[in-house]
Amino acid sequence: MSSSHIKILKRILEKYSTPMTLKYPSSVDASKKYSQIPEGLRGIPERDKEKCIGCRACFFVCSGRATKIIDIADKRTVQIFLFRCTFCAHCQESCPEEAITMSKKFELTVSTRSDPAAYVDTVLDMLSCKKCGKPYFPKKFVPRVYERLMEKINPRVKETVSADFKKVEGLCTECRRANSFELDTHTRKHLWLEGA
Amino acid sequence: MGLIDKARIYSPWLYHLHCGGCNGCDIETLAALAPRFDAERFGIQLVASPRHADILIATGCVPKQFIPMVKRLYSQVPDPKVVVAIGGCACGGSLFYEEEPDNYAILGSPDLLIPVDIYVPGCAPKPEQIINGIVQGIIKLAEKAAKKSCR
Repeated sequence: MSSSHIKILKRILEKYSTPMTLKYPSSVDASKKYSQIPEGLRGIPERDKEKCIGCRACFFVCSGRATKIIDIADKRTVQIFLFRCTFCAHCQESCPEEAITMSKKFELTVSTRSDPAAYVDTVLDMLSCKKCGKPYFPKKFVPRVYERLMEKINPRVKETVSADFKKVEGLCTECRRANSFELDTHTRKHLWLEGA
Repeated sequence: MGLIDKARIYSPWLYHLHCGGCNGCDIETLAALAPRFDAERFGIQLVASPRHADILIATGCVPKQFIPMVKRLYSQVPDPKVVVAIGGCACGGSLFYEEEPDNYAILGSPDLLIPVDIYVPGCAPKPEQIINGIVQGIIKLAEKAAKKSCR
């Protein structure tokens, strides 16, 4: 038996001399709760309340229909019901404000459906329409949309669109449509202005 | 606490009820019981018959063909009993279940049929999470046993 054989034997014996069981909670290090957390683990999603604008992108892509948008009076609640969540991180990918992050927390045991631990809620304030008084968009949504629109828009129509945006500010979508003739805010106005 | 109750809590027997779904949660449950994560150090044993079990582990969402079996299996488990729902499907229906429109084949989560005591959501939950769920189930079992002996 050569020395290399002995080395291999030693390694094998080392492997079998320690127990293979991963203790939970971790008994090796008292400060750590888990023995190991794998890299790239997708845990419970967390939403940054400051960043979220309530644009419904996460609701649109949610594959398990876990995300819900609940509009009650002048509050919009963006909610993830973790019982239905598949932790696929589609909402994280689609979020334009990068408000959603998948945390490393995965331990979740509850005894009732209505337990607040099973929900990820964000409550946002809504703007109300100047004319009809109905709530229509979250407060942070409108200025952010204007910003992003101005970044990507064709420079030919930039002035017309920004002027129109100022005109309809504070009106809900219904009132914009109903009063589009009086306000002179037709969406394809610039086309026939250029053609003339 | 009587001797039988003490024995029940220190060695609860498990029955694994697979209602339907994709088998992911079942694999994780078996991994939790196997030596790597070793839920059996709590005295748990997987049994083949619901008549021997104390804890019922339900995974997956229930197809409509499977409804009578779930009801019968639950009634066969002797009192006191605890049901632990494991995985997103068993908790809320997840991908396979919609409230509207009604699915022709899938009823939804098993808690529409039988009372569930502990929910362990996740798709699929990690073995650590399942161990946590089972231990919470044992605590619930102790409570139930104490209530029964008081009567």
